[in-house]
Amino acid sequence: MDTQLLTSAIVAGNRKDAKALTEQALAEGLPPQEVLDSLIAGMDEIGGKFQRNEAFVPEMLIAARAMKEAMAVLEPVLLAAGIKPEFTAVIGTVQGDLHDIGKNLVAMMWRGANFSVVDLGTNVPPEKFVEAAREHQADLVGLSALLTTTMPSMKATIEALRSAELPKAKVMIGGAPITPEFAKEIGADGFAADAASAVTVARELVAG
Amino acid sequence: MTERERFLATMRYAERDRCPIVDFSFWEETIPEWHSQGLPGHVQISSTDEFFGMDSLGESAPIHNSLFPGFEEIVLEDLGEEVIKRDWEGVTYRTQKTMRSIPLYLDHTLKDRESWEKEFLHRLDPNAVGRVGTDFAKKLPALNSPDQSRLVTVSGGSLYGWIRDWMGVEGASYLVYDDPDLFEEIVETLTALQVEVLQQVFASGLKVDVCTMWEDMCYSGGPLLTPSVFNRLLIPRYRRITDVLRANGVDFTWIDCDGKIDELIPGWLEAGINIMFPIEVGTWGGDPVAMRKKFGKDLRLMGGFSKHVLTKGPKEIAAEVDRLTPLVEEGGFIPMPDHRVPPDVPYSHYLFYLLTIRERWGLGINLHPAPALQEVTR
Repeated sequence: MDTQLLTSAIVAGNRKDAKALTEQALAEGLPPQEVLDSLIAGMDEIGGKFQRNEAFVPEMLIAARAMKEAMAVLEPVLLAAGIKPEFTAVIGTVQGDLHDIGKNLVAMMWRGANFSVVDLGTNVPPEKFVEAAREHQADLVGLSALLTTTMPSMKATIEALRSAELPKAKVMIGGAPITPEFAKEIGADGFAADAASAVTVARELVAG
Repeated sequence: MTERERFLATMRYAERDRCPIVDFSFWEETIPEWHSQGLPGHVQISSTDEFFGMDSLGESAPIHNSLFPGFEEIVLEDLGEEVIKRDWEGVTYRTQKTMRSIPLYLDHTLKDRESWEKEFLHRLDPNAVGRVGTDFAKKLPALNSPDQSRLVTVSGGSLYGWIRDWMGVEGASYLVYDDPDLFEEIVETLTALQVEVLQQVFASGLKVDVCTMWEDMCYSGGPLLTPSVFNRLLIPRYRRITDVLRANGVDFTWIDCDGKIDELIPGWLEAGINIMFPIEVGTWGGDPVAMRKKFGKDLRLMGGFSKHVLTKGPKEIAAEVDRLTPLVEEGGFIPMPDHRVPPDVPYSHYLFYLLTIRERWGLGINLHPAPALQEVTR
């Protein structure tokens, strides 16, 4: 089968097609890595459209949902073939902040980019980020905040991560009030303004 | 001039004595924090307008243009510092007992056609008795009185914001694709409801100055609803609402929408919605000066003073007041903080801001007394 069909199903957010085509591709004997790459290409394409203002939050959400359904079919096959996500990310909304829309969207996009994502939820204290980063040997830790009043929690979390000496774990931050200047000021390794650029930045950070 | 005359003159770019001096209230946490910084203990959120000498943004006609009746509000679980509740919109959420910021949403009653028809449709009956009821009738004489010095407003509701409230951002986004007919049906139901309720309001003889709508359909990066869907489904329906308003002498409709709104402004203007509020600066860099330049005088603005500038200091506050002053003088713009003032703004900075805007924008003319400033010297 033409793997472009898989990519197109993700871009269109067509979850039924994405799932059925993944099943078909595997049944036809396509290598699981090739199937995965085709799905990721779809998420990259929708991410690019989002950054160019050609797609918006609803299109990102339905694409991520289609990806999730395709991955539910593909993951057992990848596991059986010994293919695992190359990178692991831990993500959460920092202590004092209960907002999760932006964080969820970034987690979806990272999963769509084939990161293994551990979502710690909201109102996450610094020590929980440290614990999870250590336990999962995270390559990346993502901190989200919506409130200006919880931005100091980001600083405290980064300090805790640095003190814990987890040299592999790069830290990136995002959220409505966050600026690149603030990210620099508190010692984050990266900043992303939206869910699509969060993928680009994440890839750059883990690539070292 | 009365507050009403001043507001309308401002929005009409007409002569006026001065700019309205208004604010956007405060986070609940701000007031206790400011008590520890010198704000007298008797001042609460409900009395800040009086203490800071603010003009009002009018009096709203009491109508019921949403879920009527709403869902019964219930506490589902007490978690100590947090609590899980279901609110009047059928939304289950977890929130901190001491904070009033956006909570963590856990579940929504509105999920699909079945829940729409079973739980929501009957609550949106435009002709339900009491939508324009006894509370409205009681207030009508005062609102219509020749002595009414405040702006008279009436709500025009929301065509997307309520759907987002009832389903969450993800649920509302999926609905557009999973069941576009239902999405349009809900928008149409909300439109018909607003049109009918407004017609009842005008049939009562109420003289309205401004219609207030809200959407909150944008985030820091742009619209939550795809603009093509907004243009196709919402704009013609906004127009139906503003047609009723204009036919009844209401020239101004303001829309309260946080986030990066610039992509939606042309559509709103086309639909007759002509005052944007609150022009958030901190989240996306909204700038009233740039927006006026881009969209011209058809676009009126309220808000646009970065609350983050208030955290910085007198020099920065004065500079921002200076920067906005030409636009204030041009008219069609009522500056105020771009959202509720958060607790990280020092009270002394707010007093400086207040003193400065009363002087620069209020010109010291016909201002309400501000007890907060009685002992402040610059």
